[in-house]
Amino acid sequence: MYNDEVMDRYQNPAKNGKMEDFEIKIDEASSTCGDRVVLYIKTDGNGRISNMMWQGEGCILSVVSTDIFCENAIGKEINSLRGQDDLAFVENFPIKISPGRINCVMLPLRAFRRGTKEK
Amino acid sequence: MISDFCKKEDFPIFKKKFNGKSMVYLDSTATTQKPKQVLDAIVNYYEGSNANVHRSVYKLADDATELYENSRSNVAEFIGARSNEIVFTRNTTESLNLLSFTIGESLRKGDRILITSMEHHSNILPWMRLEERGIYLDYVGFDKEGHLDIEDLKSKLKRETKIVSVTHQSNVLGTINPIEEIGKAAKENGSTFIIDAAQSVPHMPFKMKEQYDFVAFSGHKMLGPMGIGVLYGKYHLLEEMPPFNRGGEMIKDVDFHSAIFEDPPIKFEAGTPNVEGAVGLAAAVYYLKKIGMEEVRRHEKHLTSMTLKKLEDLKNVKYYGPRNAEERGGVIAFNVEDSSNLKNDLESKNVKVDRLYHSHDIATFLDERNVYVRSGHHCAEPLMRSLHLPGTARASFYVYNGEEDVEAFVSSLGEL
Repeated sequence: MYNDEVMDRYQNPAKNGKMEDFEIKIDEASSTCGDRVVLYIKTDGNGRISNMMWQGEGCILSVVSTDIFCENAIGKEINSLRGQDDLAFVENFPIKISPGRINCVMLPLRAFRRGTKEK
Repeated sequence: MISDFCKKEDFPIFKKKFNGKSMVYLDSTATTQKPKQVLDAIVNYYEGSNANVHRSVYKLADDATELYENSRSNVAEFIGARSNEIVFTRNTTESLNLLSFTIGESLRKGDRILITSMEHHSNILPWMRLEERGIYLDYVGFDKEGHLDIEDLKSKLKRETKIVSVTHQSNVLGTINPIEEIGKAAKENGSTFIIDAAQSVPHMPFKMKEQYDFVAFSGHKMLGPMGIGVLYGKYHLLEEMPPFNRGGEMIKDVDFHSAIFEDPPIKFEAGTPNVEGAVGLAAAVYYLKKIGMEEVRRHEKHLTSMTLKKLEDLKNVKYYGPRNAEERGGVIAFNVEDSSNLKNDLESKNVKVDRLYHSHDIATFLDERNVYVRSGHHCAEPLMRSLHLPGTARASFYVYNGEEDVEAFVSSLGEL
């Protein structure tokens, strides 16, 4: 299913797991597909992400997108992550996404934006 | 193919190729494809008879009105009703909302409404809104094979139960509910009995019974166009009900501060109606009648039992609903077990997971093989919660599907 890159990450995610010393915890559920993801975020104190992990379950696309999102976030500013373009975000996913599956890929970015709104 | 009266070639959409391959359309529970006869009827209406109905007195307007009213008669005859008992709506959802905003409004605090845990959202949300006024919504459960628990239903029929509204066939489990028996119990209790027939009228012979007060269904799920639905109501009940929408067409007389409403069914059809929809639906009814609804049911039952048998050979596939095709319609919700490492790993860390592929992943996998199935919760979240599932994939059949579609579906699924 999908391609090797996606399936490898699905089966061996880099950032899956609980973080104990997080500063921000975002609990996101997508009622339309039953996906549930928790993002744990730690910053360097200056608005830059020093680590991000996730837990939860969902479809392969949302899980892989979340894992990539966590890995790519390290060292970035919260605001620049929040401000990235939706279309570019979906296009940067390792495989082409059909319109019906865009929400799956968008799950981590939407969660992140919602959970970091007041930060 | 089902019969001489239904050929895949009648459905222009099946000429369409994706990557050079034909599609295997298995989502007729969501909406059906349209035969050329229905499309032609719509074009012919616009090319030959288009005018506003029930208004003007010239010949073209008479033509349009006659076509619209004949459509109503054809739909009425199809389900064994009289034409003045057929209200045209947009869809099943609107038919049920019409009831919520008319008979639902007459309920009082402490009254109860009885539905089932296998309803589509369209037969839940119109009733749930009344809970704000102190009206209770009760749910009838079902057993592990998806049969409605009739004893539970009878025990929940209380003196305060004013409305019983039940799906004839579940859009997920496929369960065909014993509506005659449920209707009798409801009427003995003095309750108004409503049937959500969105998944039954298109797929099996449906004949009106004395105990049925209201029946709702959609045109687009029975080869007709989108945007046309039906609400059957007993005439005396329709007469007693207040209007739903108000405006053009539905009045006899309007003064500055008062109005006299038209008789049913026009009383419930405010504004210019969907004439092309009614004409298209009548053409769809004609098409189905030519095949014969007994034959439609027999054909779907055959495809369903063939599929269930093949799915039982796929050890990683789990399907829901009755095992016996006699007790279910041509809709099969299923999941596929996933033995990939991530979830095993989570389980070793004591995180409880059901080791199933997500239904969207199954649907995308099948999509890559031109097999189109639905995925998600199928607008029946309380049902999904009863099953403790986030969702399922779902394959469903109609008159244009054949054994070759079952073969393509099962062999594609076997590759997962």
